[in-house]
Amino acid sequence: MGITLHDVTKYFGPDLVLDGINDEVPNGSMTALLGPSGSGKSTLLRIIAGLNTLDGGHVEINGVDVSNVPARKRRIGFCFQDYAPFRHLSVAGNVAYGLKVQGVARAQRRKEVDDLLSLVRLETFADRYPHQLSGGQRQRMALARALAVKPDVLLLDEPFAALDAQVRSELRSWVRSLQREVGITTILVTHDQSEAMEVADRLVIMNAGKIEQVGRPDDVYDAPATDFVRRFLGPVTTLDDVEYRPHELTLAPIDEAGLDAMIIDVVRLGFEVRVVLVRPDGTTPWVQLTHDEAQMRDPQIGESVRIQVRPPLRPSAVLLEA
Amino acid sequence: MKRRSTRPRAAAGTLSVRIIVLIYVGVLVGAPIVFVFQQTFAPGWHALLSAIQDPQMDFALGLTAKVAAVAVPLNVIFGVGASLWIVRHPSRFTRVLDTLIDIPLAVSPIIIGLMLELTYASNGWFGSSLAKLGWQIIFSFWGLVLCSAFVSLPLVSRQVVPLLREVGTHQEQTAATLGAGPVRIFFTITMRSISWATAYGVTLTLARVIGEYGAVLIVSGNIAFVTQTLTLDIGENFDSQNSYQGFVGASVLMAVSLVVLIFLGIARNRERRRSGYHAA
Ligand SMILES: Nc1ncnc2c1ncn2[C@@H]1O[C@H](COP(=O)(O)OP(=O)(O)OP(=O)(O)O)[C@@H](O)[C@H]1O
Ligand SMILES: [Mg+2]
Repeated sequence: MGITLHDVTKYFGPDLVLDGINDEVPNGSMTALLGPSGSGKSTLLRIIAGLNTLDGGHVEINGVDVSNVPARKRRIGFCFQDYAPFRHLSVAGNVAYGLKVQGVARAQRRKEVDDLLSLVRLETFADRYPHQLSGGQRQRMALARALAVKPDVLLLDEPFAALDAQVRSELRSWVRSLQREVGITTILVTHDQSEAMEVADRLVIMNAGKIEQVGRPDDVYDAPATDFVRRFLGPVTTLDDVEYRPHELTLAPIDEAGLDAMIIDVVRLGFEVRVVLVRPDGTTPWVQLTHDEAQMRDPQIGESVRIQVRPPLRPSAVLLEA
Repeated sequence: MKRRSTRPRAAAGTLSVRIIVLIYVGVLVGAPIVFVFQQTFAPGWHALLSAIQDPQMDFALGLTAKVAAVAVPLNVIFGVGASLWIVRHPSRFTRVLDTLIDIPLAVSPIIIGLMLELTYASNGWFGSSLAKLGWQIIFSFWGLVLCSAFVSLPLVSRQVVPLLREVGTHQEQTAATLGAGPVRIFFTITMRSISWATAYGVTLTLARVIGEYGAVLIVSGNIAFVTQTLTLDIGENFDSQNSYQGFVGASVLMAVSLVVLIFLGIARNRERRRSGYHAA
C-alpha cells in the first residue's frame, strides 16, 4: 500500500535526471522530497503523477503498477508551485471541475464544493475569480480542487515557495493538520530543510538524481548518512577536519581544557548568538550559543577562549534531574 | 517652487500628446469614414434604397459573405492548430513554419495574386494537374477562398501564439490529474484560455477577407455575377464614374466591420468585468 518506486529512471536527452530511485511511501504518511535545485524532485513527482514518462523502472500506487496508466486515471491530486488556477472559472468552478468530469449531479456537486470550501476556509470566496485571491487563498483553492476527486495520493510541488514568510508558516501547519485530518498519503517537494522537518513525518533526501537518505526528520538530522545530508540539513562548522553542528560546540574560559581560539565576531540573532573564532592554524570555526548562554558568558571580540565539544545529553539523566 | 511648476507642465505635456494622437487618428481614420458615410447619405433615402437594391452589388455582397464563411473558419482551425504545434512541440520544422506563416503579411497582395494565378491557373504549374481532375481554381469561387485564406493566414496565430506561451501547460495538466480527457481539456481549458485572442484573430481575419482587393482582383478575373466580390464591385463603380454606387458599397463594408468590432468590444468588456480574465 502507499506508493512504491522501483528503480525509477529518467533521462532528458542525454542527461540522467533520475538514477534508479527506490522508495516505499507508507499509506497515510506525509513525505517530504528534499534536495537542492535540479536534483530531480519535481521530475520524480511528475512521474508519480503520470505527467512525465519514465525511461526505466516502475511506479506502484496502492499495490497497482501504474507505470502505463495515464495521469487522468491514476487517482492522484497534484498541485503546481504556481497553483495553476483555471483563470476563467470562479473558485467554486475550479473546485467543481473534477466532480463535473466524474459526472457528479449538480445538487450533489454543489454540496461537495461547499464542504470542500469550508474545509479550506474559503466559504465566502466561492464566487470570486482566481485573480481576486491572495497567494495563500489561491493555494488553498488548488488544494480543495485536488481533494475534490478524493484522490488516493496528494502530490504537492513546492506548495509554499511563492508565499511570504508569515503566510508560509501559517499554511505549513495548516496543511499538516489538514493532511492528518484527511489521512491522505502525501508527497511534498521542497528545497527548504526547515519546512521539510516541520511538515513531514518522513524525509527523502535527494541529490543529483539519487536518494541520499530516507528516514524520520530527527533521525536524519542527528545521524546523517553522508556529508551531503549533514550539510544540507543544517549548518556545519569544521574543527580539526571534523564537521560539527555549531550548536554541538561551546566556549570555555582559557584555563579550561579545549582548543585554543580567539573571538573575532559576535552575531546576535535574538534567540541564538553566533560566535566566530579564529584558531592558531588560521581556520575560522563558529559556535552557536543560546541567548541565555551568551548572556552569562558575554563573549567579547578579541577575547581568547577554548572551544569544547558539548557532552551529549543523555535523556535519562535529564529526566532524573527534572 | 520647482515642484509646483513641473506638475502643470507634465499635464500640459500629456494633454498635447493626447491632442496630437486625436488629430492623427482623426485625419487618418475618422475623416475618411465620415466622408464615405456622408457621401452615402447625402442624396437622401430614396437614392440610397435603390442603390442598395442594385443586383450586381447584392450578388457581390453575397459572394463576399460566402467566401468569408468558408475562408474564416478554415483559417481559425489552421491558426489554432498551427499555434498549438508551434508552442507545444517546437522543433526546427515549426521555426520554419512560424516564418512561412508570416509571408502573406510581408508580400504585396498583387504579388500574392500573381503567385497564386501562375501556380493554380489551368495552364499553370500545379493548376494543370488539377485541371486534368476537372478542378478549376483560378476564376472560380475556390480561387477566391484560396486567395482570402492566403492573405489572412497569420492573423489568428499571431494573436494566439503569445497567449498560449504565457498560459503554459499547468492548467491542462491539472485538468488531466482531475480526470479530464484530451478532448475535454481542449475545449474546457485550452480554448477557454485563448478564446479572446482567437476572437480577435477572427475579427482581423474577417476584416482582411472582406476587404481584400489586389490579390482577389487577379485571381478572380473580376467577372460580374460570377466572381466579383464587394470590394471588386466598389472598385468597378469608382472606375466607371458610378461613384455613388461605390460609396454605398463602401458604407456597407464599413458597417459590417464596425458591427463586428463593437460586438467584440462589448463581449470583451463583459468578460473582463465578470472574471478579470481577458486577452489581446
Ligand atoms: N522538460 C525538461 N527538459 C529537459 N530537461 C529537464 C526538463 N525538466 C527538467 N529537466 C532537467 O532535469 C533536472 C531535474 O529537474 P527538476 O525540475 O526535477 O529539479 P528540481 O529538483 O525540482 O529542482 P528545483 O528545486 O529547482 O525545482 C534539471 O537538471 C533540469 O534541468
Ligand atoms: Mg522543482
